[in-house]
This record gives sequence, C-alpha cells and structure tokens, in this order.
Amino acid sequence: MMTFVATVAQALLLLALAPLLTGCIRNWKAKLQNRRGPRVWQPYLDLLKFLRKDMVISEHASWIFSAMPYVLFTSTLLAGLMVPLVTVAAPLSLFGGALAFVGLLALGRFFLALGGLDTASAFGGMGSSREMTLAAIAEPALMLAVFTVAIQAGSTNLSRVLQAAQGPGWTLLNPAYALAFAALFIVLLAETGRIPIDNPATHLELTMIHEAMLLEYSGRYLALIEWSASIKQLVLMALLANIFFPAGIATEMTPGRVGFSLIVFLGKLLVLAGAVVLVETTNAKLRLFRVPDLLGVAFILAALALLSTFLFQ
Amino acid sequence: MPDLLLKLSLSAYAFGIVAGLAAARRDELARLAGAGAGLAAGTCGVAAALSELIGAPGKRVAFNLWPSLLPHLRLGVRLDPLGAYFLLIVSALAIALSLYSFGYVRGFCGRKSVGALAAFFNGLLLTTTLVFLASNAFFFLIAWELMALTAYCLVSFEHETKESRNAGVLLFIMSHLGTGCLIAGFLLLFQASGSYEFESFRRLGVHLSAGRRDAAFLLFLVGFGVKAGIIPLHIWLPAAHPVAPSHASALLSGVLIKAGIYGLTRVLFEFLGTPPNWWGVTLLSIGTVSALLGVLYALMEHDLKRLLAYHSIENIGIILMGLGAALMFLHTHHPILATFALIASLYHTLNHAIFKALLFLGAGAVVHATHTRNMEEMGGLIKRMPKTALCFLVGAVAIAALPPLNGFVSEWLTYQSLLLGFGTTSSLIRLMFPLCGAMLALTGALAAACFVKAFGITFLAQPRGEPAAQAREASPTMLAGMGLLAAACIFLGLFPSALVRLLAPLTLELTGQRLALTSGSILTNTRPLGGTVSTLGIALMGICLLPIPLGLWLVFARHSRVRIGPTWDCGLRGLTPAMEYTATGFSKPIRMIFKALFRPKREVQREYDYSPYFAKTLRFDSHIEEPFVRRLYRPLNRAVLRLSRRMRTLQAGSIHAYLIYIFVTFLVLLIFAL
Amino acid sequence: MNSSPSDFPSQLITLLAAGMLVIQLLMAVQRMLLTSIRLFALQSLLFAAIATVIAYCHNAPEVYWVVGLTLAGKVCFLPWLLNRQVRRIGIVQEIAPLLNPSASMLLCGAFTVVGYLVARPFTSLERLGNNTLAVAIALLLTGFFLMLNRRKAISQVLALLTVENGAMLAAVALTTYGMPLVVEVSMFFDILVAVMVLGILVYRIRESFASMDLSELKLLKG
Repeated sequence: MMTFVATVAQALLLLALAPLLTGCIRNWKAKLQNRRGPRVWQPYLDLLKFLRKDMVISEHASWIFSAMPYVLFTSTLLAGLMVPLVTVAAPLSLFGGALAFVGLLALGRFFLALGGLDTASAFGGMGSSREMTLAAIAEPALMLAVFTVAIQAGSTNLSRVLQAAQGPGWTLLNPAYALAFAALFIVLLAETGRIPIDNPATHLELTMIHEAMLLEYSGRYLALIEWSASIKQLVLMALLANIFFPAGIATEMTPGRVGFSLIVFLGKLLVLAGAVVLVETTNAKLRLFRVPDLLGVAFILAALALLSTFLFQ
Repeated sequence: MPDLLLKLSLSAYAFGIVAGLAAARRDELARLAGAGAGLAAGTCGVAAALSELIGAPGKRVAFNLWPSLLPHLRLGVRLDPLGAYFLLIVSALAIALSLYSFGYVRGFCGRKSVGALAAFFNGLLLTTTLVFLASNAFFFLIAWELMALTAYCLVSFEHETKESRNAGVLLFIMSHLGTGCLIAGFLLLFQASGSYEFESFRRLGVHLSAGRRDAAFLLFLVGFGVKAGIIPLHIWLPAAHPVAPSHASALLSGVLIKAGIYGLTRVLFEFLGTPPNWWGVTLLSIGTVSALLGVLYALMEHDLKRLLAYHSIENIGIILMGLGAALMFLHTHHPILATFALIASLYHTLNHAIFKALLFLGAGAVVHATHTRNMEEMGGLIKRMPKTALCFLVGAVAIAALPPLNGFVSEWLTYQSLLLGFGTTSSLIRLMFPLCGAMLALTGALAAACFVKAFGITFLAQPRGEPAAQAREASPTMLAGMGLLAAACIFLGLFPSALVRLLAPLTLELTGQRLALTSGSILTNTRPLGGTVSTLGIALMGICLLPIPLGLWLVFARHSRVRIGPTWDCGLRGLTPAMEYTATGFSKPIRMIFKALFRPKREVQREYDYSPYFAKTLRFDSHIEEPFVRRLYRPLNRAVLRLSRRMRTLQAGSIHAYLIYIFVTFLVLLIFAL
Repeated sequence: MNSSPSDFPSQLITLLAAGMLVIQLLMAVQRMLLTSIRLFALQSLLFAAIATVIAYCHNAPEVYWVVGLTLAGKVCFLPWLLNRQVRRIGIVQEIAPLLNPSASMLLCGAFTVVGYLVARPFTSLERLGNNTLAVAIALLLTGFFLMLNRRKAISQVLALLTVENGAMLAAVALTTYGMPLVVEVSMFFDILVAVMVLGILVYRIRESFASMDLSELKLLKG
C-alpha cells in the first residue's frame, strides 16, 4: 500500500514539476541574456495548448509514428520512478537500478528516432541519425560514471547508491564522486540536448538534433513528447543532485521529513538548473564533429573517477 | 524417456535428409518432407533437452549410434546438461526454422533443387546436434567436419553467383584452419589421458604441464574461435552467412557459431582446470574488441543480411566477455561469481540464437518480397508487410538490449558480473572490468543506432524502389516461424527465472554451484541488495502507466481532429523518396567519428564543361575495407601463393620424379626407424 | 599533526589534486590559447590552495612562501604576460595539434595510470597519506606530452609551465618538510626567467617568420 502511494505521488510529482523546471531554465537563460523571457509557467500553458490542438499526421507515417509518443512517455516516466527524488527509497527501486534506468531511456530514444524516420522527411532522418550517434558516444561515459558510483556503493540499485553516498562527510570531497559528477554533468548536457551539444531553442533545421525528430509532430503527440523531454531532464538532474549532494533527503516516511526533503530537493534542482543556464549562456554550440571531443572528455573524467578509487584509497 | 526422444529426433533428421534426396524431383513433396522432419525432430529434441535439464538427475542418456569396428572410434552419443542446453537451442530453432522454411522454400521451387535444400538443411541440423552430443573427441571431430561440409553446401547453394562460391570457399578454408587446431588440441589432451572419451578429459588440466595447458588453450581458442567468428578470425562470417538461403542463414548465425561457444565452454570449464589469469584476460579482451568492432562494421553495412552477420560477431563478443570474466573469477577462486558470469554468457547465447534467427527470418521475408538485400532500395515495407515488420521490430528491440526483452536481461547479467568483478582482485587488472563494461555500453548504444537504421530504413517512410513498393506480406507459415521466435524473445525477457532454473544443473556440473538469482519475478545478482531488475515488473508498470497519456487525451483532446496530410518537411514541396535519409547517410556521423578506425576510401569523379562548380555528372564512391583483410589476410594470402609457386617446381609431371619422391621418402623413413 | 587518508584536510588535498589533473586534461583538448592560459592560472591557483592547506595543517610556515610566489607569479603575472603576448601576436587558436583531441585524451589517461604505477612504491614516503605524488607524476608526463603535441610556441610554454606545476606538487607532496625551500624558490625563478625569455623569443620568431609554428624552425638549419 505504501509503495503504491509512493509510486502515485512520485509520478504526480514528476509530471507536475518537469514543465516548471523547463520554464525556470528558459526564463533564467533569457534574463542572463538581457531578455525578459517567457514566464516560468509558460511550459504548462504550452502543453495545455498542444493537447487541445488538432493534429496533422503525415500520409507516409505508419503506426510507429503514433505509438512513439506513448512509448516515450511511459518509458521516461517509468525511468523516473526508479530514481529517488525526495525519499531514499525510490518507488520502483526493486524493479531496476541504474542499468534499467539507462535502458528505459534508451528504449524511449530508440522509438523517438524511429518516429523521426517514419515520415519520410529528410530532416527527421537527420535528427535520428545525430541523436543516435551522440547518444552512443555519450553512453560509455555515462555507464563508466554510473559504474564508479555503483562500485563505491556496492550496488547498482539507485536507493542503495544514495544510502552509500549519505555517509559521514561530504561526498563530493571524494575525488571519485567529484570526477564522476563532472562526467555526468557533461552527459546531462548531451542527454537533455543543451547548448554546447544541441540548441533547444534553435530554428535552423540543419543544426537541430532533438527538435529535428519532432518536426512532423503536432497536437497531443507533440505535447507528450515535450513533456517526456522535460521529465527526462528533471529525472537526470534529480539523479545528479541526489547522488552527489545527498544532504537533506528523507530516510523515513514521516510527513515532516518528506516535506523538508521536498524543499531541499527543489533547492538543489534550482541550483543545478542555474549551473546549466550558466553553461548555456557562456558557451557557444559546438560543431557536430567537435561534440565527440567533449564527450571524450566526459569519458576520460569518468575513467579517472574510476582510477581515483585506486589513486586515492 | 529422453533416450527415446533423442533417438526419435536424430532419426527424424535422418529421415528428412533421405526424403529430401529421394523426392528431389518433386518439389512440393520435398518441401513438405523437409519441413515436417525438421519440425518433428525439433520438437523431440526440445522435449529431450528439457527432460534432461528439468528432470531428476538420474542415469545419463548414452548410447552408440553405430557399432564401431575401429579402435578409439566410437560413435557415442551422450546427453549431459551442457550438451542438453545447446540441444535445446538447436532444437528450438529447428522448430521455428522448419515452419518458416515451408513457406520460404517455395521461392526456390522450379528454380533450384528443393529436395537438396531440404536434405542439406536437415543435415546441418543433424550434424550440429551431433556436435553437441558427441561423447568423445573423435566423433566430435567427425561431426564437426560434417557440420562444416553441410554449411558449405548451404552457403554455396546458389552457386550461380560468384559471391556465393567465393564465400563458400572462404568458409571452407577458414573452417579447416580451425579444425586443424582442434585436432592438435585434442591430441594434446589424448597424450595426457590416453583416451579420446570426453569423460576421461574431465579436470585433466591438473595433469598437464603449464606450457602444454597454455598451448592447448591457444589451440582451442583458435579452433573454436574460427567457428565462433571472433575478431580477427571472423572474415568468413560476413561473407558466408548472408549468401545462404535465409532460414539457413538463421541457422548458421543462430546455432552454428554457437558450436564454437559450446566447445570453448566444454574445454575451458570442464577439461582444463583452474585457469591462469591471462586466459580470462585474453578472452575478455577478444570479446570486447569483437563486440565493438562487430557493431561498428555492422553500422557501415547497407546490405541487410550482412549487417545482421556482423551483429553476430558483436554478440559472440558479448558472450565471450561473460566467459572471460568467468575464467578470471575461477582464477581468483570465486566460484559463485564465475557461475554468475557463466549464466550471463549462456543466457546470452540462447537469446542471441533466438533474436538473430528472428531477424534473419525477417530479413529473409523482406528479401523474398523485394528481391534485393540492399537497404537503400527498400523502405515503406511496414505498410505492405505489417506482421513481418512487427516481428522484426521485436527482434530489433531485443538485440539492441532494450528492456523489457531478452537481450536486456542477458546484458544486464553481463554488466552485473563485470561490476562484481571489480571487487575480486586488488591488482590493476580489475580496472578492466568497468572499462570493458563501458565498451559494452558503447556497443549496446551503437547496436541500438544500427537497428534504428536497419528497421527505419527498411520498413519506414516511403519505398525507395519499385520492388519495395510492390512487396507482399510473407506467407502464413513464414509468419508463424517468426511469430514463434518473437514470442520466445518476449518470454525469455519477461521470465528470466525460468531459464536461470534451467541452467542450474549445468552450472552444478561445470563449477559446482547452483544459483537461485531470482525471488519472484525479480532478478538479483549474487550479492544481497547488490542490484535487482524485474523485466516483468517494468512491463506491467509500463502498462499501468499507459492510462496517463490516454487519460490526457480523453480529458483535453476529445474534440481535436486528426488530419492526414502530406509530410510538412519544413515547408519543402514535392517530397520524393530520393530525398529520404539513406542508410549510408544515417551512419555517416559514426563513420566520421570513427574515421581513424574505418579509414573509408572515397572517390569522387566529376565531369564538367568549363567550371568544376557546374558538374555535369558526379560519381561518388566510398567503401570501407577491414584492416584485418588488408593487413593480415592479404599478406598471408600472398605468402601462401608465393610458397605454392615454389612448391610447384616439385610437381614436375613426370612419373619418374614421383617414383623418386616415394622411394626417397621410404628410404628416409627406413633410416629414421633405425 | 598526523594525517590519515580520511580526515578533512587530506580529502581536500586529494580533491584539489584531482582538480589539477582534470584541468591538465582539459588543456590537452583546449584549442583556444586564451582559455588555455586561464586554465593554467586556475591550475596554479589549485596548487596554491594545496600548498596553503599543507602549510596550515602541517605547521610549515615556509610553505607560505611557495603559496605567495605561486599566487603572484603563476596565477597573476605569467597569465597576464602570456595574455598580452597572445593578443600582440594575434593568434588565438592552436590550429593543428599532432594528435586529435580524443587520442590525446586517451593517451593522457594512460599516462595517469603510468603515474599511478610509478608512484606506488613511494606511497609510504608521503606524509599526506594519499597519492598526490601519483598526480604529480601524471602532471609531469602529460605536460611533456602536451609539449610534444603542440606546434605553437606559446602553447609549448604553457605546457612547460604545467610540467613545472607538477614538479612543485611532487616537491610539496613528497616532503612536506623535507625539500629545502630554496630549491623550490630557485626552481620557480628559473622557470619565470625561462618563460620571459621564451616570450620574447616567440615574438621575435613571429616577427621574422610570420608564424609561430615551431616545426618551421627546422628550416633554420643550413
């Protein structure tokens, strides 16, 4: 019963919070660039509008095109339920740890890329091709960083990883964690399509990666896809925030602790979002074939994180 | 009971061969006999294997096929858990493939000898089964050679094309190279034990000197490695597998290369004893390299069946990673972990057999319908062949190791064993485990990219050519064969506990351990709370979450309309199939990123009248040659040819010269005998 | 004060040392000269922080000298000098390193492993209780590699400076009290003078050849 309530609560939290985070990032980015920017809750209104709009579906599209938003949405949400947000115990912790989390995100991406190819548009194919390529080269860095953390914790279960990180002292002082954090931060930028890798606000088709796959989507499908992108961003940020700054997270399920933990969690998220905004405003988008170099840096950082379990025993 | 089932199964295959040959003139009859025999034999084989793996450990099934007249040569058949597991793989595939072949072979009717095809196909099934069941090295080698021979016949079945003939010859040569090593290896073991019986080889490693043991390891590694298709011994595989008829390709990729895995498992875990560390390190490194290079070369292919063949190399690599890790754990005396890694690799062996066969059958149906293997001419097939597309999609999701299908489960087990390996030793070698894990992650992600390409370009968007636009859905029996395998993919993904339980007697025999690994539907690793996954849970939860987007639809979008219109394509008009992304274009970023590895050769020819900027015609040619071919096999080939030219002077053609050779040899032997 | 690997100052030192290593790796892939200079300044700052922690926790006031010199020289003066140089000659990018960034990253990773292997026998000599020496050796090796890999004189100077950072770190790590201060200080001035001379030389080379590509120096021989 408890698990059921926790699952529903976390799902609702993910659904409700994700657009807000996107809104915050957009708003702050605009502020840093001396623009007024959209309001923080604009993404909610966008989603509502998309949901109500009529849809145009390409005549070349097959059922894959229509199934994709649902697969993407559920798999992303499912991945989100495996990550501890405000309590150490994630609702679906037993159903899969870090590996299933990565696998579910990959499942969503697989269908997203197929959806991009399905409409016979040249831009969609280009987006799919780039998305799959970049995801592939981000994967080893992601996995290696996850392994480092998992080895430190002795488990791939995200709740266990969090418990291990909660020990005395500040985790980030451990170079293994610090380096893994740096690596995962770069991977976060890549996975959420942020600026040095992909420009979420671009209007030029040739430079698009993630957006290029969505060009043919409209109406409620677009709403689902945008929403899943927000959820994915929220989940990845929450993972980073909670593993590397575990302070304040609730270990038991009393309302007071959970409430406090929720506030701390929001604070951590906002700080991390601020970091992303800073990176986005101070950097230019990299040329596509420079991105592997950056992800190579992430991989080496993760490898060093692993090595540092030797270096600094 | 398994005794009888096994005999039935073997005789059904034999019947298939005989009936196929007898009905060589009557295509319909041969088709029916071949498929029926395979189906019956496969069913009996599955039953026999299951009764051995599930049933109470009683008397082992063992009998002689034929009373033998020669010393040491005993045509003995024996069913032990390891053999039974591989028998399960081959028999399960036999069922699906025979079903499929009934519809598929119709394409050959009147054109080729269907009877011969049925005979070869059943022959390959029979010899492969015998390889897994042989109880002594002598019989094993005979079956092994017969297997290679029937494989050769199937590969060069369409011998009108030069490609098939060359592939067949290459397969034959490489296979013999491997068999040579195997003979030498078994002779080494024979020297120590004095018998060819596998039973006498058990735990023989302790009686061998270190040097001999290492020599035996290397010989078996090369011998079985050739068959498994490890890099750099793989060159025959992408050449041979695609040219065979598709159900035979599925068998070659699904089962035949697993004979190499069977051999390695048998020899390394049963015969050679506690291994030195470098064995495991070698196997793990070879596995990693094979997996990564296999998938990278697969990405560069736009021949659908060659792409799948390269993926076989990748998956063999993943299997070997598990085996290598298991050996390293045996070295550091962690039998439980070794068992875990062994389970991971054997699970992947079965999974790969199933989804690769499924994909080959899907590819076969597509090729059957479009008459081309080139993906660039396909497209839009999901509308014309919806059921085939669905089956292919299941296979693609499985091979890309995405949850909740079977590929994910076995790769999860492999990841876990690599992660657990980190704690087994304190030397720097332990860094290998996570690094190989990271490479496995890269492999998995690249495989996903590759199957987005394979599925997306083949089945989605607009047809790129006339045959693709005219394609028709595969026949019901073909669909039944594919559906069976797709169902197996889903079952093995959702219920891993069933297979783990099946593997218990096997691991008990090989490493002396049996692991439970499952509590309910949740799969765990060997450590309490060390990591859990439940694919069934994921699947059910996914279904439970589906009402959310559907509910949103009902609440908000009830009144919205759906319009079918032309593709927007950013406002461009006149979208033609030629404007779609191609397979080559899709993998271009990866080709650029791994340029140092591929070293693509490109040639641009342009013709122009007055300015190079206004070309009249433009020809672009790009191809990739594997460095192994260029650096290793070409020089080797040249050296062999040079040597043979030298040797030719010996072949004078004169009968007197030959008589002199014989006489001199005789004389030398006599003197030597003194 | 006796230090165990787990107490706070030690952890801080390890983190800072790891930071130095990371910056070194970033320099290996960075093409923009100005950014490289900034990274170098940051690395020196981290080194100064390490030295401060050591000076404070191990009661070694003479190490404050090192801190002061580093801050003045390598965090402020040299970056400023190099910055000016870069602006004067107007070259902002290292166009073509010999090895591409990914390969050089991998090599640097390998050098780190080598550093670890080489430093392992000496861990008992360290007072800091952790492998700062390994990081120092890794810095030395990657610094040398960086010098090899770069064509532009300025980036070679930067690489030399990182080598020096590595040497200083080794000195501090190995002998919290041991190595005489005078050696460290003289080493520092040595490098300072070398860099200034090189800076002038670079300018002259640029004047005479209209290029900073050192591979063209080969043309000088008769």
